[in-house]
Amino acid sequence: MTERVFPRRRTRRAAALFPAMLLAAPVMAQGAGPLEPSLDLPTPPTLNFYGSPGLMDMPTAEMLPDGQFTTTISNFGGQTRLTTTFQALPWLSASFRYNGIQDWNFGGFETYYDRGFDVRFRLFTEGRYRPALTLGLQDFVGTGIYAAEYLVATKNFATPGWGPASLPGRLKLTAGVGWGRLGSYNSFGAPFGADRPAYDPNSTGGKVAYDQWFRGDAAFFGGIEWNPNERWGFKVEYSSDAYNFETGVTSVFERKSNYNFGVEYQASERTRLGAYYMYGSEIGVTAQFQLNPAEPANRLAAPAPVAIEKRPARATNPEAYDTAWAQSTSAGVEWRDRLAPELRKEGIGIDYITLSGSAVELRYRNLRYNSQTIAAGRAARVLARMLPASVETFHLVPMSGAIGLSTITMRRSDLEALEFEPDATDALLAVTGITEAGKLPPTAVPGVALYPNFAWGIGPYFDPAYFDPDVPIRMDFGLQIHATYEFSPTWKISGEIRHRLFGNNADGRGSNSVLPPVRTNQVLYAQEDTTLHDLYIEHRRKVARNVYGRATLGYLEPMFAGVSTELLWKPVQSPLGLGVEANYVRQREFDQRFGLQDYSVLTGHASAYLEMGNGFVGQLDVGRYLAGDVGATVSLDRTFANGWSVGGWFTLTDVSSEDFGEGSFDKGIRFSIPVNWFFGKPTRQSIGTGIRPIQRDGGQRLNVPGRLYGQVRDAHAKALRGEWARVWE
Amino acid sequence: MRNTRPLRAVSLCVGLALFLSGCTGGAGTQSLYGQILNTSIASISAKRADKVEQPVVTRAVLNEVEEPYIQVTRERADISAYLFASAIRQDDLPGNIVQWRAEDDVTVTMRNGVLIATRGLGGDLMSAKVPVAPGQAGPAASGERIYYVRTGDLEERAIFMACDLVDLGPETIEIVELRYATRHLQERCVTPDGDRPPEALRRGEGRIVNDYWIDQRAGIVWKSRQWAGPHIGYLGISQLTE
Repeated sequence: MTERVFPRRRTRRAAALFPAMLLAAPVMAQGAGPLEPSLDLPTPPTLNFYGSPGLMDMPTAEMLPDGQFTTTISNFGGQTRLTTTFQALPWLSASFRYNGIQDWNFGGFETYYDRGFDVRFRLFTEGRYRPALTLGLQDFVGTGIYAAEYLVATKNFATPGWGPASLPGRLKLTAGVGWGRLGSYNSFGAPFGADRPAYDPNSTGGKVAYDQWFRGDAAFFGGIEWNPNERWGFKVEYSSDAYNFETGVTSVFERKSNYNFGVEYQASERTRLGAYYMYGSEIGVTAQFQLNPAEPANRLAAPAPVAIEKRPARATNPEAYDTAWAQSTSAGVEWRDRLAPELRKEGIGIDYITLSGSAVELRYRNLRYNSQTIAAGRAARVLARMLPASVETFHLVPMSGAIGLSTITMRRSDLEALEFEPDATDALLAVTGITEAGKLPPTAVPGVALYPNFAWGIGPYFDPAYFDPDVPIRMDFGLQIHATYEFSPTWKISGEIRHRLFGNNADGRGSNSVLPPVRTNQVLYAQEDTTLHDLYIEHRRKVARNVYGRATLGYLEPMFAGVSTELLWKPVQSPLGLGVEANYVRQREFDQRFGLQDYSVLTGHASAYLEMGNGFVGQLDVGRYLAGDVGATVSLDRTFANGWSVGGWFTLTDVSSEDFGEGSFDKGIRFSIPVNWFFGKPTRQSIGTGIRPIQRDGGQRLNVPGRLYGQVRDAHAKALRGEWARVWE
Repeated sequence: MRNTRPLRAVSLCVGLALFLSGCTGGAGTQSLYGQILNTSIASISAKRADKVEQPVVTRAVLNEVEEPYIQVTRERADISAYLFASAIRQDDLPGNIVQWRAEDDVTVTMRNGVLIATRGLGGDLMSAKVPVAPGQAGPAASGERIYYVRTGDLEERAIFMACDLVDLGPETIEIVELRYATRHLQERCVTPDGDRPPEALRRGEGRIVNDYWIDQRAGIVWKSRQWAGPHIGYLGISQLTE
């Protein structure tokens, strides 16, 4: 037997003598010395009242670091703006904003709430003499209270710094030309035509307003930002925004000056606070929060693995390589029982194990790690430590239910040879095979007591509803109980009951839709405290080469019940996946017990998924939606190997914008953040949400639990390569 | 009546904590809020624990220890721990590999006393190309060095450096009451554009210095100060027992 577990070799006496001191303790660490190579991201630009890199009301030409995710809250003169910005590419950023204007008193609104999107494109990076140049479209969809376009240039200069570090300060000079809102004060004319329609608060909005971009009056703006050190910053700007509507049609505030002044303080690595004197009459404040998926709050640290034991050389010790042990009929069961507890320590559950004298196929469930590669690496280490020397080839098959997602094939001698070599990561990838998971071998030994498996949980839930004209955010809060019973790898029953403790979703507005109210009846659905959130039976399996299947029957989601079927074709190495989904569902009773209403619909989609490189995943769904409308959804997400994803979608169907109502068509943004990003401890959970500027009934898909693509992609070649660095962790 | 109030407050707190953390059973994992709560508690207690004075280890204590131990100090965090040798290996490259392990499942791995890997710290040194020669403790020559570092979005990044090995002559050092006659070797390493002034350094560029105090006849690096990559910084390492 080569079973030697190394770590606890030291004497008992040493354990008693040495105090248990920890090296990985989460203490506040100092930064790197000034000369050490650093991989930290450069200091990001500061943000303006619209949540874009900028001064106060005016933008600058700076771009955030790639992947940066920011939230800005700003307020002055009764106007509050909450903006989230994502730097999707080094030269492209997108923002979503929610704003409220007090003392509006117009068109029936005392306080006026609105949503808007911005995009910014960098045209030139900053050179030695050349400033950076950026083109921006502000509030370019929707009713457009903040609609503006601009071209802006910014140049950095070094200045003497403050403080003992004797590092130089930074001075940023910005000048630009704006249209729309940013061309409204002291304009020099309309270079591209004067036919810009006036802001109309009664339009349904939602249309991309390309016909008015760069039209109408234009004006110059500019400003200076000085950062004498890493903490403090001072801003001065000349604003070209006349606030015509706010000061002319309504009386939101008084604009007495064109100049704004501010001071900002970096309160922590991710938080910046600012105070300002705006337009000669108002005090303003901002809070800017910035984070980057590539810079985790706590760097992920899994407990160090045990080093791989080298087998004795075959030449000197041929009997160690004898394969007679594999002839025994009980060998599979025996080794399963020995491996199971060791794998379990690494968060790995055995589904099936197939042993021969020279190879092992382990079908396993990754229960702990967000990353499939660290789980595969840990599984390989356990096999290398425990199994007889003759077993040279490891086939590792991560499973999702009964579905083998892929086969990762490694040679034990490569693991032994490479563990401490320079660049072991790439060296191991070069000799590792990633292929399709084959059929389950007939001699496979199932894991012990995996099925039937019963799991349950009780915990809190939060159910937010956004952008009600009366209350910006409504929220229900309560207790949920969920339970899952897996009969076998292919069949399971799952359900969830919720009990609301408090909340105000029930007081929201009713539906005014001319379409079948498939989503806008949410207030009617929020009347009962205790509801059956979902209850369904699900069957999942691999149906053919590269083809995965799912069928689900029951109360699929709070508003619909019925049957859902899905087929997905996704070869392990292919960046392209194709799927079809067909559902027949009936609307549930508002009380969300077992009753159903009359409305039923056949809904389904053909979908194409494409991994486009750089972490971008695009998806096109064409089909029939819940209200019976026919059309297509385009979505684009940027996924990060560490589990972050940020993206957006829009849906166009045969419903006219008048019938759709406010917003004209369905669209939104969504994000998901892995919990381990915050805590640095391995877990598989993530938090995330999708946000629509407005919830209507057109272009709505069924929310089926357990859709296939996300689970399958996770363990396919591109995702595995993207996170391969963790295989030796 | 008055006495029951604190009790009620405590049970209310416990109830609230249980509610927020949730409960699970079966093969499911712990609830999200439970993890958040547990991690927060662990981090608070860890911060408290850090304020405890580190105990002084004496030679009398070390004489009782039969196994090899090293002390490793993370300079940036100003914390240290004792590590025992958990694995000894050889591979196709020159040098003896020793992996040292701390109580909290952190490992530090060296080849002939030159750092080649860390695990369990976060932002770890995944592997390294180091200039060692058979039978020679510490670095053996000037030349190229490569650090492979886990960073950012689960990626691994190589930092290439050119190193000069300088002999600073004999030095006597003391480790827990024992004095050793050593030779002080210094490796001065610089990235391709790392010789600029600090404010002009680009991302991933810079320079580092590794120090080794070596008994060359016995083939032991008694003490060293080595860079473990941009996220961990310098580690101080002393051999406490052989």
